Amino acid sequence: MFKQFTENITANQGYLLFSLGIFFVFFVVVTIMLIRLRKEHVAHMSDMPLHDGINEPKKHGRL
Amino acid sequence: MQPEKFYYDNKIVRNFGIATVIWGIIGMTVGLIIAIQLYAPGMNMNNQYTTYGRIRPLHTNAVIFAFVGNAIFMGVYYSLQRLLKARMYSDWLSKIHFWGWQLIIVSAVITLPLGFTTSHEYAELEWPIDIAITLIWVVFGVNMFGTIFKRRERHLYVAIWFYIATFVTIAVLHIVNSMELPISAFKSYYIYAGVQDALVQWWYGHNAVAFFLTTPYLGMMYYFLPKMANRPIYSYKLSILHFWALIFIYIWAGPHHLLYTTLPGWAQSLGIAFSIMLIAPSWGGMINGLLTLRGAWDKVRDDVVLKFMVVGLTAYGMATFEGPMLSLKQVNGFAHFSDWIIAHVHVGALGWNGFLTFAILYWVIPRIYKTELFSKKLSAFHFWIGTLGILFYAIPMYWAGFTQSLMLKEFTPEGMLKYPNFLETTLQILPMHMMRSAGGAMYLLGVIVMAYNLARTMMQGSLVANEAAQAMPLAPANTVVKEHSWHRTLERKPIQLMIAALVVILVGTFVELMPTLTIKSNIPTIASVKSYTPLELQGRDLYIREGCSNCHSQTVRPFRSETERYGEYSKAGEFVYDHPFLWGSKRTGPDLAREGQKYGNAWHYNHLMDPRLMSPGSIMPNYDWLISQKLDTTTTRSKINAMRTLGVPYALGYEDKANADLDKQAKGISDNLATDHIKVKSNKEIIAIIAYLQRLGVDIKANKTNNK
Repeated sequence: MFKQFTENITANQGYLLFSLGIFFVFFVVVTIMLIRLRKEHVAHMSDMPLHDGINEPKKHGRL
Repeated sequence: MQPEKFYYDNKIVRNFGIATVIWGIIGMTVGLIIAIQLYAPGMNMNNQYTTYGRIRPLHTNAVIFAFVGNAIFMGVYYSLQRLLKARMYSDWLSKIHFWGWQLIIVSAVITLPLGFTTSHEYAELEWPIDIAITLIWVVFGVNMFGTIFKRRERHLYVAIWFYIATFVTIAVLHIVNSMELPISAFKSYYIYAGVQDALVQWWYGHNAVAFFLTTPYLGMMYYFLPKMANRPIYSYKLSILHFWALIFIYIWAGPHHLLYTTLPGWAQSLGIAFSIMLIAPSWGGMINGLLTLRGAWDKVRDDVVLKFMVVGLTAYGMATFEGPMLSLKQVNGFAHFSDWIIAHVHVGALGWNGFLTFAILYWVIPRIYKTELFSKKLSAFHFWIGTLGILFYAIPMYWAGFTQSLMLKEFTPEGMLKYPNFLETTLQILPMHMMRSAGGAMYLLGVIVMAYNLARTMMQGSLVANEAAQAMPLAPANTVVKEHSWHRTLERKPIQLMIAALVVILVGTFVELMPTLTIKSNIPTIASVKSYTPLELQGRDLYIREGCSNCHSQTVRPFRSETERYGEYSKAGEFVYDHPFLWGSKRTGPDLAREGQKYGNAWHYNHLMDPRLMSPGSIMPNYDWLISQKLDTTTTRSKINAMRTLGVPYALGYEDKANADLDKQAKGISDNLATDHIKVKSNKEIIAIIAYLQRLGVDIKANKTNNK
């Protein structure tokens, strides 16, 4: 299976490595973002659907 | 500060909800009709406006853009207002959006059966409707962003990012894939040709699945599932990762629709690699949804809404695991063009989109009508008949796909094709097709029961058109403290978020599309490949009008089972004058890339008049109107001019002589038919389509002869 990948990429290796590079950098950035998020903020965000300004729900475990 | 009072607009949510149900029933009914046509070709009532080729696009457009489209707007208009604690920006824009979208759908219902089609799958509507779609999409965007700007909640919940990504990506996809040169009010040619056109189409087609059938539904899942289960999403951090990873990776995966075609190998490999990676964010999203129900599984037992959600999410998980597997070349070589793909998409469409839509309808309608659901029993019936319907649909289609592909690839010990006649394999799977239509009918019955249940619910309650709510106003921007992280900052800046999402989807788009569109050496030309004659060009447009490419592919993959059956495998240079490409995506009938000169003109004439005369048992409908209808040659001039503008080498001034050449070639064919005792005037449509069919793949054969 991997043979066909290596055979196919020879002509455009730089191109594929460039794609992989973008991909890698992108995920490192998103991971750093996630690590930097604070717990209270995450709790606030995830509770949003439950507060619509009409009927506020009862307290539950995560609050 | 005092809390502000305001009102949510529930009427627009109700309107989109009703439209969802009505178009759902219509779109699925058309689907059932075409499913029956595949074993009872007479189901088109011998009428050109209802043939499979013309109304299969009506089915796909109706269920994608009418059923799912209206459901998206229902879900977005309901959740957006509540997540932002603000009424929609403008009631007028909401109304224009609603009625504009319905008008677009009605125009599709009229034009597609009339044969006005671009032939690009899921983008068949002709250029004036494309423009209308663009305008209405902008109205939706302005209304959405207007609401975001006047919000009373500083941070945007993850559902809204999915909506923003949907808005911006669909805009990009629609514009790039609608680059057409109009030649009349309802006819245009794509500016891209052949393999380039194929790449653009499947970059679009794949991402229409991603950003119309997936991202808005994920946004809706992230809002409605916590509401339904009355508990927050399992992991908000996972939802952030899910969002960025999904929109980044999805955009690259389009080429997996073109494996083993003439698309450059590196693009195919890139498509495969990213398709495999897609499992991670897709399953991340599914797991996030299912784990939200942790500790609430007892509720699933008696809450039909949660039942629909669980099966919907499971179907999403199955389809998004199967998709990457189908992208592996070996699997794809077997599954592509077969009923396996039909099973795959319907697990996603019926399970994920359908069941999530039903869950949201059952949840939203009683709430905005301040009542209870009319009948829990009927909704439970809907759940079970729908689930069984999916199984009865999908399993026979998998079976049919495996059976037919195995038969098509089977060789005798002597090295000959065991089933050289394609029709033999078709007849073998007819029972599966019958069972599939029974499954589809069950699913449709469930939807009709739901429509009745929801109508009775509406009748017993009364719509709260404007629902009172209150929230604290936002503090002025200059009083906001600096955020602790970039992402938290991004979550309160909608425009920056949209730009970030746009950049993320453009990366894959540029890397994939640009080389094929700009580097000439990617498409090696073939000297013997010439542009179509005027008659062939007209015939090709009839082929497009009749939607032949819905059942017949025009690309031979480099497998022995295909080169033995059809002839030499396809080359990129063969398609350089094909605006649009007509490779197709499904072989309900045999490939036609090498059809030219295989049979005589008389064979084609009789076959088009009544396919069963030449191929007993064939499921192709009769095309007898081609014999009686006169070919419209007034368009020849504009067609030649348009093609020249697009780079097809017709000499300057040829448009003046084109019709004379057309008449001459047509007369040759009608004279030839006369030798077989077939009397037909040379100005009939059938002559043009025979001319086109006889041209298919002939150039490459000439190339071979010259090189000998």
